[in-house]
Amino acid sequence: MSNLFIKQLQLTNFKNYRSEKLEFSERLNCFVGQNGAGKTNLLDAIYYLCMCKSYFSTPDKSIALHEEKLFRVEGHFQKESALEHIVAKVRVRKKKEIERNSIAYKRLSEHIGLLPVVMIAPDDTHLAMEGSEGRRKFIDNTICQLDAEYLTNLIRYNKLLERRNALLKQFGKSGTFNGMLLEAFDEQMEAPSQYIYLKRKALLLKLLPLFEALYKQISLEKEAAAFVYHSKLEQQKLKELLQIAREKDRILQRTTVGIHKDDIEFHLNGHTVKRFASQGQLKSFVLALKLAQYELIREELKIKPILLLDDIFDKLDVSRVTSLLNLLLENEFGQVFITDTHVNRVEEIVQGYASDYKKIEIEQGTAIVN
Amino acid sequence: MNFSSKLIENAVNAFATLPGIGKKTALRLVLHLLKQEEGKVDLFSEAIVKMRKEIQFCVVCHNISDEEQCSICKNPARNQDLICVVESLRDIMAIENTGQFRGTYHLLGGVISPIEGVGPEHLNIDSLLGRVKDRAIKEVIMAISPTIEGDTTIFYLNKKLQPLNVKVSTLARGISFGGELEYADELTLARSIMTRTTYNDSTR
Repeated sequence: MSNLFIKQLQLTNFKNYRSEKLEFSERLNCFVGQNGAGKTNLLDAIYYLCMCKSYFSTPDKSIALHEEKLFRVEGHFQKESALEHIVAKVRVRKKKEIERNSIAYKRLSEHIGLLPVVMIAPDDTHLAMEGSEGRRKFIDNTICQLDAEYLTNLIRYNKLLERRNALLKQFGKSGTFNGMLLEAFDEQMEAPSQYIYLKRKALLLKLLPLFEALYKQISLEKEAAAFVYHSKLEQQKLKELLQIAREKDRILQRTTVGIHKDDIEFHLNGHTVKRFASQGQLKSFVLALKLAQYELIREELKIKPILLLDDIFDKLDVSRVTSLLNLLLENEFGQVFITDTHVNRVEEIVQGYASDYKKIEIEQGTAIVN
Repeated sequence: MNFSSKLIENAVNAFATLPGIGKKTALRLVLHLLKQEEGKVDLFSEAIVKMRKEIQFCVVCHNISDEEQCSICKNPARNQDLICVVESLRDIMAIENTGQFRGTYHLLGGVISPIEGVGPEHLNIDSLLGRVKDRAIKEVIMAISPTIEGDTTIFYLNKKLQPLNVKVSTLARGISFGGELEYADELTLARSIMTRTTYNDSTR
């Protein structure tokens, strides 16, 4: 199992940071400070360097500090024995640039997967509670880090989908129809949809046992948690589905079947989580899901991803956090970042292990290193 | 910008409508013309007016032409049963510059792009089908950029051409000349391996 960690982070105009430079421990790092100080923003900056975007789907133009026209994030990572120097430069109305060791990527998708990362944040519960888009993003985010071709296929599918929808709108507006032209899109979407469907199915099959075991460990309860993947492609190929849905698509002027409609259903004791789970169960469920994602990426890539834990005390009581931290400090995990509002809480819990621990106090976009 | 002459202002505004020309460049061009002899400027404007008024589009392939049919379509030395389908005029010029193609062209005038509102009815597709039907064409080469719009257009044309029993081919996609393998993107490289050519063919 190889090592991955970020040694140094430098920010310019990133969210509430004007200019900041931080050094990290290889193992456990804790950002402490008041609400709104900017703890989560530091986690997001690290995430940005790994995934070329904000975890919170913040558009790039809203990331730069108020009234600034550019922001910059720079990180020195160590992966196995190699140093990786990653710089993200984003200017208003310019294409964003990500550089690896001073060479800019032609396609940002080439960067995804180099530095695997998992973020766990309080609002992850939307995964279970809200629409299917979040769940698809979760699964896509996982596979993209494992398989570069997946992202290529996904991008291609989405581009074709956008054009197919535009075509359906055009037909609706002009009152014309050209079946052969629609088919040109249907047939081009076939190959990427099949690739994505098979990858999603295979990944969720691998994720399920990891998730079930973790849920038992975290919840300390006997409930059985599980999830099921739903995709229309299970029964038929996309080409046939599109053929069947053609009339409906024409009337609604958008594509109503395809992998962009896939969903994952979460279950607890045979009931859907969305309707029957308590707040506590929900939090445990989502945490187990994220940790399962972590384990899966680790096993597939044979590398320990960077783990970003935002405000875990909001999720769990002290005893559960203690057991979680104990778990994290075992060798199963690599570099971990935690945020907390209480100055000494994490420190007290990890005292026994604190050999490689760094606390960084944050105050309104400035770090005070102890 | 403030001009002391309305005439200058009009000329500057006219130049500034051209692609890639801003107000400052437009002024430079206008002042340059002002320094020239009158006769020279007459010739200059005459060339533009004449070009716009007298240019024709070939009735067969839609290429620009000085007569009803362009010099390529009329040339008996060119292979008239081979059609190379292109998106724009510039593509014809690029292929002509290679000196390697001895067939004829067909200019589509764009590619199918639902987002831009360009459908097959906006392109010269019917006349292509007509040519293939009437003139015993042996092969149609799709020389269209491998973008999503281009691929969709090729796909659509291929469907339309299938019942006419004509061979349809596309440009080879792969490693460029003088390109280094390590800098080729993975998609291109993967495709080049899949559609590799026999060595003796490729060196000819």
